Amino acid sequence: MAAVAAKKSEFDDLGVEVLSISTNSHFVHKIWQAEELSKMVEGGFPWPMVSDGNGRIGRAYGVYDEQGGVNIRGRFIIDPDGIIQAMEVLTPTVGRNVGELIRQVKAFQHVRDTGEVTPSGWQPGKPTLKPRPDLVGMVWKEWKVENAE
Amino acid sequence: MDIARAGGQAPDFEAMAYQDGKFEKIKLSDYAGKWTVICFYPGDFTFV
Repeated sequence: MAAVAAKKSEFDDLGVEVLSISTNSHFVHKIWQAEELSKMVEGGFPWPMVSDGNGRIGRAYGVYDEQGGVNIRGRFIIDPDGIIQAMEVLTPTVGRNVGELIRQVKAFQHVRDTGEVTPSGWQPGKPTLKPRPDLVGMVWKEWKVENAE
Repeated sequence: MDIARAGGQAPDFEAMAYQDGKFEKIKLSDYAGKWTVICFYPGDFTFV
């Protein structure tokens, strides 16, 4: 969560709010913030740290591990209409890539604002595609696999 | 409640949270109109 907190200004620029959720109590969140997160990132985790003590939220999102009694690493991008636009779920041993999260937010915001679609690996400034009948079978003319890198 | 899926409505929830030295009840639906990212993780003080 420290890696997400470190990108606070980028999330602010994109108008994105973040919530972290684990099965720990809000009391434990306070101590984790004080004892560890605030030593990794100035100010610590700057958004609400939510307590999901009984796993009710995790179950609703399909990330609650009944045997372990914990929520595994699920990440969801929710648009202003409350629709989940992206989800990524990892088992506990591999951490997230915050850069990829930010790229996806930018892509979904671009799509929402323009009606264009963003091909593989899209970053702001790279070519997009405008869906239309005469593009069918012609994507190879407008988009090259090198654009994905 | 339906389970979360990409393209579907995000399940609403209400729960206690810690932020800025305060405990408060927060509700996902209070974030309507904003882009919101929610991150689940296995636990405070875990290594990754």
